[in-house]
This record gives sequence, structure tokens and C-alpha cells, in this order.
Amino acid sequence: MILLRLISWPYIRKHALRWLLTIAGIVLGVAVFVGMHTANQSVLYAFRQTVDRIAGSTQLQISSGETGFDENVLDRVQGVREVRIAVPVIEAVVNTGLPGQGNLLILGVDMTGDRGLRQYDLESGDEAVIDDPLVFLAQPDSLIITDTFAKENKLGIGGKVPMSTMEGEKLFTVRGIMKSSGLASAFGGNLAIMDIYAAQKVFGRGRRFDRIDLAVEEGARVEDVKSKLEALLGPGFQVESPSARGQQFESISRIYALTANITSAFALFIGMFIIYNTFQIAVTQRRTEIGILRALGATRRQVRTIFLGESVVAGLLGSSLGLLLGIAIARGMTGYIGALLGEVFGIAQKAEEISTNPALMLFAVVLGVITSVIAAYIPARNAARVDPVQALQKGRYQQMSAGENRVRRITALAVTILAAACLLLSRYRLLAYAGDALAVLAVLLLTPTLAQWVARALRPLLRWLRPVEGTLAADSLLQAPRRTSGAVAALMLSLALVVALGGLTRASYDSIFKWLGVALNPDLFISPSQSLTARSFRFPGSMADQLRAIPGIGEVQSVRDARIQINGAPVIFVAADVRALVNRATLPPTAGDPTKMYRLTGEGKGILASDNFALLHGYKLGDVLDIPSPQGVLRMPIVGIVVDYSDQQGSILMDRSVYMRYWNDDTVNIFRVYLARGATEAEVKRRILDRFGTERRLFVLTNRDVRQYVVRLTDQWFGITYVQIAVAVLVALLGIVNTLIVSITDRRRELGVLQAVGGLRNQIRGTIWLEALTIGAVGLILGLAFGALQLYYSLRITGEDLAGMRLDYEYPYQICLVLVPVILAVAFVSAIGPAESAVRGSLVEALEYE
Amino acid sequence: MNKTLLVSGCWFLVVGALLGQDARQIVAESQKRGQSRSQQYEGTLEVIGAGNKISLKRWMFERIGSYGASKAILRFTAPAEVKGVALLIVNHQDRASDQWMWTPALERDRRIALQDRSTRFFGTDFSFEDLEERDVNQFDYKFEGEETFDGQPCWKIESKPKESKSSQYTSSLMMIRKDNYVVIQIENFAKDKMVRRIHYSDVQQQDGIWVGRTMEVLDANRGSRTVLKLEKLQYNVPMKEESFTLEALRRG
Repeated sequence: MILLRLISWPYIRKHALRWLLTIAGIVLGVAVFVGMHTANQSVLYAFRQTVDRIAGSTQLQISSGETGFDENVLDRVQGVREVRIAVPVIEAVVNTGLPGQGNLLILGVDMTGDRGLRQYDLESGDEAVIDDPLVFLAQPDSLIITDTFAKENKLGIGGKVPMSTMEGEKLFTVRGIMKSSGLASAFGGNLAIMDIYAAQKVFGRGRRFDRIDLAVEEGARVEDVKSKLEALLGPGFQVESPSARGQQFESISRIYALTANITSAFALFIGMFIIYNTFQIAVTQRRTEIGILRALGATRRQVRTIFLGESVVAGLLGSSLGLLLGIAIARGMTGYIGALLGEVFGIAQKAEEISTNPALMLFAVVLGVITSVIAAYIPARNAARVDPVQALQKGRYQQMSAGENRVRRITALAVTILAAACLLLSRYRLLAYAGDALAVLAVLLLTPTLAQWVARALRPLLRWLRPVEGTLAADSLLQAPRRTSGAVAALMLSLALVVALGGLTRASYDSIFKWLGVALNPDLFISPSQSLTARSFRFPGSMADQLRAIPGIGEVQSVRDARIQINGAPVIFVAADVRALVNRATLPPTAGDPTKMYRLTGEGKGILASDNFALLHGYKLGDVLDIPSPQGVLRMPIVGIVVDYSDQQGSILMDRSVYMRYWNDDTVNIFRVYLARGATEAEVKRRILDRFGTERRLFVLTNRDVRQYVVRLTDQWFGITYVQIAVAVLVALLGIVNTLIVSITDRRRELGVLQAVGGLRNQIRGTIWLEALTIGAVGLILGLAFGALQLYYSLRITGEDLAGMRLDYEYPYQICLVLVPVILAVAFVSAIGPAESAVRGSLVEALEYE
Repeated sequence: MNKTLLVSGCWFLVVGALLGQDARQIVAESQKRGQSRSQQYEGTLEVIGAGNKISLKRWMFERIGSYGASKAILRFTAPAEVKGVALLIVNHQDRASDQWMWTPALERDRRIALQDRSTRFFGTDFSFEDLEERDVNQFDYKFEGEETFDGQPCWKIESKPKESKSSQYTSSLMMIRKDNYVVIQIENFAKDKMVRRIHYSDVQQQDGIWVGRTMEVLDANRGSRTVLKLEKLQYNVPMKEESFTLEALRRG
């Protein structure tokens, strides 16, 4: 501690700006980590909180995926002796149409028995509305809202809430206002209670419930009742505690969490190189000080401890600032991520407040400190090895010794061979990951050598551009590789990340567009919701015939989709008339005979699995799936594997007749409409709206609208990735600024001498500018080259472990064309400050430096 | 003295044994005297909340059959917002009744689950179970003595539901008038705590049947009361079985 105060503190104070830049790497790394995770956790927490508050004293919930089930299931459940109370529930999210209110979570309940599970504490209103279900039930427009929602919308008892229902636009009457606590605080207070049978009509559920909430008799064990109900209802039903819904949400949004993890870890990894660079330079600059300390009797361990101590302080400070910045990021992003996850996965939650997890915060601080200590370890070890005599010889430690270089190169060669071996054997998933890690390590070990090679190759160009400044700039890099290798490595890694993610994004877009062209080719789509992933509302199956009667419509295909669980994995099933579908759209097969697979699926003798479902869950052609349905397990072979991106977790396509038989449900999520010859989109759309506009809630989307919707969703998904790329590049650029500041400080005397012998200020400026541009160029060349390899691994990882997409390798040249001028421009801009500092300093002081 | 005591003791033993048997007979007699082929009345419900807030409802009641085997339909006629809502009750001798509710605005019926029978009957102080007819065979009885109640000599009888009878109440204490066997009060207990008291007054004879035309229910937990007045009461009015089915309920 004393050493830190006496030796480290004066140095840190003297180089405060550099220290701030150094810890900026940690700040950004930790901030991204904390921000992304906190935002993600807040969304999850909001969902769980909504589930908990709605659950009340519910001990078990019975559901059948998203498909719901017949009303008669309730009688069977209520007939179980150990079940004290079992009540039906319909849950749906609707847009109220009230300005600024967004979504309202509607809970459809049977008020006759529901009070046994949930507390409806009235703030105001007719007590009888709650206590007398008769009034509530007799008027299907009855709504009980929360105090929060009432205040926000200046609604009182008797107030009207407009809602777009399956029977057209309707006004609902507020007949009760709940106190804003407990149940009423679920979904951020945007909650309304409705009679379950009214909800069935409003949301087009037919005679079905979404789930049953129940409590067990006193003395009965919940686990026993669960087992009994599972045995009674069969595998088509899930009997779980309310908290299990949170786990399902977590499982569905797993890809997002994983993406956030990878990119934030990368940001921290890049930050590590800046710290490494700074400490390496600090060791070089302070070698005299270290030599004196060693001469005065300080042990190697004590010297190492000083530098490691400094790294701990830097890590702590950086992590603390990173925490604050991360929380600010989370505040800004939680709503966005919540909306994105809701849109992509069709799961209702309302995340407005952030939920900070102390364990995550602590982990982030520890991660920041460990990163800092790891980054500083090699420089600290080098400091401990300083020979007091050599320490007085200026410049010696800036050059890497031939021996040291040889060891590095040999190690790098060995690691490269290992990486190549792993690449050859990359069909084993673990070896593929190991290959990527080893490739990164090999490139990092080779960075100083590669950077020197590139700098040497660039020297003639620099010399040609500016004979004096160019030569000085190139020599500065060649003579002091340690000073720049960290910054180059950070920039290289960042750019490799940009190339990999850019290529991945491009490939994803290409695949999605190809799929859109094949799968989504109807002229019009009719949906009960604006969002195609929302499945709260459904059309009755009979509407298809009504649509067919509209002039200008050539063909109508009814599609029902819903999320179910197969062997614990969430999957979307798409039920459509396969024989009609195949005449219009044939999804590209990746396994199976195209003619046979569609024939068998159409005959109800098999199902088609999406390629991503098969890849993610390891299914092959011919495997038999046990699909749980309310009528029992539906055993269907996979008769074909096709490219389909209906859902990130994968999808299965079955014939609608099979779905109707096993789920006893003829409702429809989307009608795919093909126009008759000569009909126009606008005209038919108008006719559909004229026919159904007043009596049904429906949205008629053109093919273009749907494509734009999918593209917008994809843009939003990758939008977060772009932010993370920007942070990674920012961290790398901080490295360049840092390196230049160090370079100028380190060469203060050299620059002073240059000025003393007649060097012009502009020449000094030019030298520093060119040095910065050279660092940028070296980073660019290495980064863009290494990015090619990283892109390969990213496509593999995404294909096999994250999204299950088979993506074509295509190097993102367009992104590279943008990166070159951007990085060079930023490198130049980052050199302006240090260059001015170099030319405006006192010449005498510069000559006296050291 | 000793002889007198002995005789008195023997008398009490004999009477006690006899009364133990008589409790069931008294209830059976009460049930027998109240039997009719059908019943019809217009009910006026007055719910007096804890804050003395009064709400009024009216319904039309029709019943065919009697006690364990009866069927009843109750249709609300006022206020306007509940008009048309109806309840079909099908009583069984060996188990709890089946009940369905019809909501005209939604045009659909819903079954009232057995688990919900203990809940309040649409904001009144009755529970759904209180609307069931108590069949003599569904309970065990114990004679608790005689006392004067409402100025009338009464039998005091405790009833406990048999195993087969699902009930929210663990026991009930009935006061049955000795002169006409009319039940004039039932106190319902849940675990020794009186939770609901139903008091019958304005006892009159109608079509040869003695009946309390005013029923007051007290919810001991809430402190609220509901008064039901039976108007235009008639017995043995011609009715058809098919008027007491789910289809009939839906027809309105």
C-alpha cells in the first residue's frame, strides 16, 4: 500500500489522461456486459413479476403450449379430489388505441371462483361489480382496470376503453378500479380483468381456455397432485408451477442472452489489450525507477506487486465506472429489448424499470479486475525481471529481443498447427470452439511480428508520401513494437469482429430474403394482429369460405401456428393445408425427396421439420417426433427437412387436418391470400376491409408489408449487434489514442531534438499523423485478414449452436470498403490532440526529458 | 326423593334415546309437509351491505319436483343490467346439485363448479349451496332440545352432512316450529364458527303449505344482510319437465 502511494500514485497523477484512457477499455467492456445483461434480466424479471403477480396463490398451472384446450378439461381437473380450486384463464395482450398507452394485458377469468386464487382489491367503484359477478358477467363489455391505468388515462367508473376485438372496434366499460398493488401491479399496471367467456369471444378463442390455474387441498402435496394431473390429462398438457413460465421465456430467448454474452465478453477482451499495452509501456518508461527500486533492495515480488496493485486499482475504478455506465445503458435499452423480444418471440411482458442483480454487479467488478490483472500480468512480470544495470540503458527494452521473438514465433507456430488440426476435426463441436480460441491465440502471439512485417512493407509507401515524416513514423513503429502491438491487437480483434458479424449479418439477410421469396409469396396476408408473431387473437376457421366469396380472391390458405414443447424444447408448429401450399410455395429441402415429403405431410403421415430445428436439436430425416397434443401424443416421422425461418428455435410443418383432429381447434392465425388473375392488391384489400372491417378485427398486409415487417424485425435484432460492434471499435480506437499519447511522451526528447535541429512543427505533426495512420492501416490489414477466419467460425457457431441456420460464406467486402476510410479517418482524428501536444510543449523541457 | 330422581333419570334416558331418533323424523316430517309438485314465486332481493348500502334485484323462480329430485330455474328480471341472466339448478338425492348459468348478452351458459358453491351467490349473502334443497337423507341429525323462538315453541336440531354430501358447512343448527314443522332458522357453522344465518319470517300458509315468505340471510364474516321476499307464491302450478333443461335455459 505504501509502495502504491509513494511510487504508483505520482506516476498515475502525472499520466492521468493516459490512465483514464486505459481504464476506458475496462469501463466500456464492463458497461456493455452489465448493460446488456441487466437489460436482458430486467425483461426476464418483468415477465416473471407479471407471472407471479397474476398467479396469486396459484400452485400449479395447466397449459397445452400456446394452443389452449377445450373447456371440458376444466371439469376433469375440478373433479380431482386433491384440487381445492381450479379456474380457467385467458391471457392476451391488446393495443388499446389510447394515446401513449401501448399494450394492455387482458386477463380473462371466471369471477365466480377466481377470487379463491386472486385478490381484486378495489380502489373505487361499485363494490358489487367485484362482489357480484352477476353485474360483471351479465355485461360482457365489463372491464376492471388498475388505478395506474385509470390515472394515466383519466378514466373513472363508467369510463370507456376502446379495443379492437375479433368483432370489430368495441368500447369497454370500466366497472371497477383495482388498487395498484399485488395483482394490479402486474405488467407495469397495464392490466385489465375481463370475464373469461367475454374474452373467448373478444379474442376468437372459441370454446377454449389458454390455461387452468389451481390450488391444491390443504394437506395434499403439490408434487403428488402434479403427477396425478399429468397422468389424468396425458402428455399433451404441461402441469407446472407458475415460475416455470419464466424458465420457458428464458429458454426461448436463449439466443439473445448468448449473443449478448459473446459480444460483451469480446468487448472486455479487447479492453484487455489496451491495459496490456499501457502497462507494457509503463514498465518501459519506468525502468529507471524500477532499477533504482531494485538497487535499493526491493525484491522482484515487490516490484511485480506494485504493477499488479496498480492493475487492481485500474480494474476497480474501471469496473465501478463501467457499472454506472452499464446501468445507464440498461435504462436506455430495457424497453427496446423488451419490445424486441416480445416482437420476435411473441411473449408478453412489459419491462420499464431495470432490475439490478447484485450478484451480476459483483461478477462484473470481479471480471473487470481479473481482466485488468491478467492484462497487466506479463508487463508486471517483465518489470520484476528488470536488471538494474540494463535499466539505465535507454531504449533497450523497447525493442524485442531476437530470443524473445523466436520463442513467440515458435509458440505461435505450434498453436497455429493445433488450430489447423482442430479445424480439420471441427465436426466435433468442442474442437471447433477450441480451434477458434487457438486461432485467436496464434494471431495474438504473432501480432508484434506481423505488425512489424506490415509496417516494414508500408515503409516505402510512407517514405514516398512524405520522405522525412513517413520514414520517422515507420521507424517509430519498427523500433518500438511493444508500444504499438497492444493497440494493433485490439484494433485487429475489433475489426475481425466487425468482419465476422458483418459477414454473418449479410449471410443471414441473404438467407432470410431467399426464404421470404419462396415461402412468403402470397399477395396478401390477413392477420388479426399488426404483429405477425402475436398470437393473442385468432379467426374462426369458417372465415376462409367468406373470404373465398370475395371477388378478386383466387385462393385462400388457412394457417394456424403456435408454440409448443417437444421434449422440453420450444418449437413453433405451422399447420396448413399442405396440398394447397405445395402448389404455390415449396420450401427448399435440405433432406428428403421433395415430392414425397409434401405428399406424405399432406396425407397426414408425417411432418416437415425446419432445418434450424433439426440442426439445433439433432434430428434427422426419418426420426419420429412425439408431439404432445390435448388428444394424446402424436407420433409423426420427419419426412423432410426444409429451410424455414418462421422461428429462431425452429418450426415443424404439419397438415391442418392433423392439427384440427388432434387439437380440436379450427381457428386461424393468418390467411394467405392469392389474387385471381387481373385483380389488384389495392382493390381486393379494400373489398376485404369493406366486408369485415366493422365486424372483425383484421389487418390486411400486402406481400411488401410482410417483407418489410420481417426486414424490420431482422434489423432490430441485428441493431443491438451493431451497437456492440461500435463499442468494440471504440475500445480499439481508444487504444490508438493511448498508444499515440504514450508514443509522444516516450519520444519527447527525440521530438525535441528534431525541433532543435530545425525540424518544423508541421513535420512533427505530420510524423505523428502518419504514425497514427500506419497503426490504423496495420490494424486494418491484420483485422480484415483475421476477420476472414473469424467469419468462418462465426458461421459455424451460428449454424450449429445458435440459430441453426446454414449460412453461405461470403466475405463482406462492402463493410471493408466502409471500414478502411472510417478507421483511417478516426486514427487521424485521434492523432490531432497528441500531435498538438507534441509541438506545443516546451523545447527545453523536452530536451531535459529523462 | 331418590325414587323420583331415579324415575326422572330413566325418563330422560328414554326420552333422549327417543329424541335421537325423533330428530330425523322431525326433519323428515318438515320436508314432507313442505313437499309440492312445483313452486313458483317472484323474489325481491335486498342486499344490505356493511355500509348500509342497499341494492335491489328481482327474479322469477320456478321449481318442479321436490327436495332431492327437484329442478329449478331462476331468472333475473331486474335491474336492467342483469335482466335475462338465469340459473338452472338440478338437485340430486345422493350428491351436490348441478348448476348452470345463462348469460344472454354472451348467448352462452357456464357451469358453476362444485368448488364455487361456497362463494357468494351473485353479490347476495346466499352462497350457491344455500340455493340447493336440503334433502333429509343427506344429513345426520342430533336433537339439541326445545326452546321458544320468535314466540313459537321450536325443536332445536343439529345436522351434519354425510360423507357423500359435499358442503362448505361442517354443521347446521335448525329451529323447527312445533306447530307446523316450518324451519324458521338455520345457523350454518364452519369449524364451530357460525358463518351464515338464514332466518325465515312472515310464515303463512299457501296452497296448503306453510312457508316463511321472508328470508333474511346474515353473513357473519362480512356483517352484511340479504332479505328475500317471496311474492306471488304459488304451489303445484302445472309445469313441464322440459322447461328445466339446459336447452330451456338457453331459450330464455
